[in-house]
Amino acid sequence: MSLTAGSRPDGTRSVAAVEEPTAAVGAATATGRVARRTRKAAREGKVPWRVRLRRDRTLILMTLPVILLLVLFNYVPLLGNVVAFQDYDPYVSSNGITAIFHSPWVGVEQFSRMVDDPLFWSAVKNTILLFSLQLVLFFPIPIALALLINSVIRPRVRAVAQAIMYLPHFFSWVLVVTVFQQIFGGAGIIAQTLEKHGWTGFDLMTNSDLFKYLVTAQAVWKDAGWGIIVFLAALAAVSTDLYEAAAMDGAGRWRRMWHVTLPALRPVIALLLVLRVGDALSVGFEQFLLQRDAVGVGASEVLDTYVWNMGIQNGDFSYAAAVGLVKGAIGVCLVLAANKFAHLLGEQGVYKK
Amino acid sequence: MSLNTQLIRSLRAPARPAWEEPASRIGLTAKGGFLALCCLGVLGPLWIVIVTSLSPKPVIDRVGGLVVIPEGITFINYTELLSGGQVSRAIMISVGVTLFGTLFSMAVSVGAAYGLSRPGSLGHRFFLLTMMATMFFGAGLIPTYLLVQSLGLTDTYLSLVLPSAVSVFNILVLRAFFMGISPELTESARIDGAGDVRILLTIIMPLSRAVLAVISLFYAVGYWSAWFNASIYLSDQEMLPLQNVLIQLVQKNTSAPTGLQQAVHTGQLSALGLQMAVMVLALIPVAVASPFVQRHFKKGMLTGAVKG
Amino acid sequence: MTPNASSASSAPSRRSFLASTAVVTAAVAGGMPLLSACGGSDSGSRDGATSGKAAEKLLPTYVASTVAQPDIPSKNGSSAGYTGKVDLGALVASVPDKLGTGAPFKIMSPFWGTPPKAGCAYYAGLDAAAGTKITWQNQDGNTYGQKLGAVLASSSIPDMVVVPGWELVGKIANAVTAKFMDLGPYLAGDKVKKYPNLAAIPSDAWRMGIFGGALRGIPMPSAPASSIVPYYRKDIFDKKGYEVPKSAAEFLSWAKEATSAKAKVWACGDMSWSSGGIFGVRPSGSLGWNIGDDGKLTYRIEDPAYLEALEWTRKLFDAGVVHPDDKARSGDAGQRFTAGQILVFNTDTSAWYGKTAEQAQSNPEFIIEGMDIFGADGGDPKLWAAQPAGIWSMIRKGASKATIENALAAADFAAAPYGTKERMLVDYGIEGTHYTVKDGVPVKSDLGNSEVLNAWGMLSAPAPYYAHPDFPDIARKQAEWQQRMGAFMKKTSTYGMNIVEPTRYANLSSQFEQLELDYVRGNRKLSEVQAAISTWKSSGGDKLRDWYKQLIDQNGSGN
Repeated sequence: MSLTAGSRPDGTRSVAAVEEPTAAVGAATATGRVARRTRKAAREGKVPWRVRLRRDRTLILMTLPVILLLVLFNYVPLLGNVVAFQDYDPYVSSNGITAIFHSPWVGVEQFSRMVDDPLFWSAVKNTILLFSLQLVLFFPIPIALALLINSVIRPRVRAVAQAIMYLPHFFSWVLVVTVFQQIFGGAGIIAQTLEKHGWTGFDLMTNSDLFKYLVTAQAVWKDAGWGIIVFLAALAAVSTDLYEAAAMDGAGRWRRMWHVTLPALRPVIALLLVLRVGDALSVGFEQFLLQRDAVGVGASEVLDTYVWNMGIQNGDFSYAAAVGLVKGAIGVCLVLAANKFAHLLGEQGVYKK
Repeated sequence: MSLNTQLIRSLRAPARPAWEEPASRIGLTAKGGFLALCCLGVLGPLWIVIVTSLSPKPVIDRVGGLVVIPEGITFINYTELLSGGQVSRAIMISVGVTLFGTLFSMAVSVGAAYGLSRPGSLGHRFFLLTMMATMFFGAGLIPTYLLVQSLGLTDTYLSLVLPSAVSVFNILVLRAFFMGISPELTESARIDGAGDVRILLTIIMPLSRAVLAVISLFYAVGYWSAWFNASIYLSDQEMLPLQNVLIQLVQKNTSAPTGLQQAVHTGQLSALGLQMAVMVLALIPVAVASPFVQRHFKKGMLTGAVKG
Repeated sequence: MTPNASSASSAPSRRSFLASTAVVTAAVAGGMPLLSACGGSDSGSRDGATSGKAAEKLLPTYVASTVAQPDIPSKNGSSAGYTGKVDLGALVASVPDKLGTGAPFKIMSPFWGTPPKAGCAYYAGLDAAAGTKITWQNQDGNTYGQKLGAVLASSSIPDMVVVPGWELVGKIANAVTAKFMDLGPYLAGDKVKKYPNLAAIPSDAWRMGIFGGALRGIPMPSAPASSIVPYYRKDIFDKKGYEVPKSAAEFLSWAKEATSAKAKVWACGDMSWSSGGIFGVRPSGSLGWNIGDDGKLTYRIEDPAYLEALEWTRKLFDAGVVHPDDKARSGDAGQRFTAGQILVFNTDTSAWYGKTAEQAQSNPEFIIEGMDIFGADGGDPKLWAAQPAGIWSMIRKGASKATIENALAAADFAAAPYGTKERMLVDYGIEGTHYTVKDGVPVKSDLGNSEVLNAWGMLSAPAPYYAHPDFPDIARKQAEWQQRMGAFMKKTSTYGMNIVEPTRYANLSSQFEQLELDYVRGNRKLSEVQAAISTWKSSGGDKLRDWYKQLIDQNGSGN
């Protein structure tokens, strides 16, 4: 699907491509190392970068605003993460920036502190566990729901169902946890009903063993409806002619789904999956903070809450930065691995090499 | 056509496409039942929230928590919240920030998504990786705060827009959709001498209505529900957007007599009722905006324009 | 959403909960809650403390206030109580001349709720009376710690900043000495007499404002006597014929009798806070260090009472007498209490008035009463004194003389004792606009309810007191309860000193709070708590002990 420079399916050449032969011809007649490389490149079909610059300058200009914003508001403050290698005290000098130069350097001490902390490893374990669980139990649900809604004919029913299903996304986590507590908690509706029939002691919200399923259920309830939006947009892009053609060829409802609908969704699914994996280490924050005390740290500590409690709440900026760096590094590896995996399956993933 | 006929026609379900099999009864009931279940699962808690927000204080006290079965209705929570002009002003501010922010974010995001939709272009991989790296590494609050302050953005509305204007996730989704548009369309335009900007505006964007709507929605929701930046960068109370005002009005875990809840303290209002009313108020814009978004998800609306 | 990105949670922590109740009470003209019960109340910058003779030089002279003597004077470290009606027509002015000069300055202060609008009648009236011109920056209390940390790291700090002790954790504690000025030249010794209300603040409270060898913080004084009350529903107790338990075992057996999940009634909420008092456990933070009768210096977690308290609380949870929502730390225990779903819950003294006022109209049968804290074995409890101050307002280094004098004038105004014109203005606003007087009792109007809020009250406060014109009996009960508890109060060796531990020990005991929470709920084993204690000892606790020994030798003991 990617456009290779200059060529088109029908064989004609684009405007940009017209310039290349000129360059190539020029290169063919010149001598010298650069000229030879250009010739070689032209022969192999590669285009020298100056040409590419001229060809792609509009594209680059269009991308620049985002890059500038990111450089300014993300990369510049990111430099502050250098404090991960220090025992950073923001207050030793007149402002936080110069304080970086006045704080002692401790090398990898913060990192070794992290490695030595059993709570950190517990957090990592929980994060991975919860992420895997969500991948299996949560990720497919919006897809299934999108397919379900897509198959409904009446637009009004679809609109109403959609609108209702993505309302919980707008509930705050506080509300979600409170509502769950009122229903599944030890004094909640279900417990009361069971109590009447003689079963005591039902309390789902403080059960540390079932916590991982509880949070997944909460995430599904809150965000599954919201997740269908992207898939619905993808499904809207599928031409009805394809369905018609498939039906003509005798494909029934399920085979149409298998051969038309799902393939249309594949690129989006792959993209979202890769992005989701990249985000694996941020499996949740407020949701876990709220229920931390109910089930204990052992079951509920994830990396983000760990950083929050150990770093930010304790005013320990260096440590927070160190853990953040490690988290980022692992995230990068995860995304690269997932993207490669997507390539293996024939999908583009996030980017192609 | 008589009014009657029009009415009847609109109420009847639209014609089923010829190639679609007639629905089986089991299938329909199963689908309908499942959907109904899903909707109930959502509406149930919503019902509880609304009922609690409309319940008088003695009822909430007696139940000791969220009210399921209504016993008496009072609108006092809403009248208290909406009087005093603060909530209304905050709504205006939030609407303004959301509109401006969404437009700005969409402008830069669409540009970047298109600019990165040709894998052979110069700097493609570099820009892409630069963008994606920011998804994994975040800066601490102090460096970000110092940066925003040194740019003179504290106590301005720009501090609510610029630092969080770019969502790489959104850009990647846009990019994927742009790349999925058939190159034949863009190539034929290119033959006719169209530059990249023309192609973007006249071909890509009209074909991407659905995903543009979706991403705009994502950005809008992001701006609407953001509150942390405002609480850090703004000191003037008059400038606070809606989420901050609403959070202020209800403090979790206390029945403290602060702000509006002086009345809570004297027993006129219930803290929980207020919290639920706040929740409902925050949901109303969503309910209002959703029909506009629905329009873009009609089945097959891009028929014939895009290859499968 | 990661905490590094621009979104953070305002999920309540114990610290923030106490914070919000702290400011509640200031608004309600009640007592100040116990602040050192939460961890991290060490404050200041450089290690150590200043006390003894060195401190005396820095402190203001104490000049007791002669205005409006309390009906129940402070005894045993309690707050004072005012139970009589104040003659609202004959209020005294505690600050005869306007001390402010009208030079504008900025104050940054945490606020829970919706702050008053800039330029509102309340602010205008107070500015006019005090002669000040204040631009208030009332920041969201939930994110105040982060905002404070960021602002202090920047080069532009507001003129006056309110610093709650619970935010002074980790490196932020260093910020105080680095960024805030020494107030000694304006307040030490007799210089304070220019500000009569500040002079009336007890010296113990002032001593807590010494950071890094200089007096930097104007305190909000709090009562050292216990302020966490185990409340119970007297009306329900009387109806069901329950007797108030007098020992730990009695409590447990009563609780089992009183709990009926079917009837949706549980005996109590989370009793952790009270368990400390019952078993004589020392507070956390620097106050937790004490030289025992055997001459040995120990920290609270080394005391066997610590584990005993935890085990008792755990027994309550295991027996199912604790409301499930309290086990999950969800919702509002106070609401469950007023609904009769729990019969006992502990929180600070302000709730005595708060709940009574709240329920007065809708549930006249409701009676909230406070249990006397009993000793675990049924005898007298062993209670420990809290620090006499935990919130300060400070002035930044480099502020101009005019700013400093106006800031002090504002603090002086805010510290006016009960029964003065200034106090009336701060607590109730302007008569006619913000309140009207009915039967000698001031009643706030709607405008009063939305404008007269706890802004000025954060700057400073007089010696702690209880006063409720609408429920004078509650003030009496609060004061008398505190007096009774204060009789059992002992001070630890570190009492009254503002101590900053060296930063290398900063995180040594930071996980104990969570550990306690998890253990009592059954999510951790006793062996894990014991292991944590021995880890504490070996990875710095013993060295910290030596450090404290040296400190106490240098500065003298607090008891």
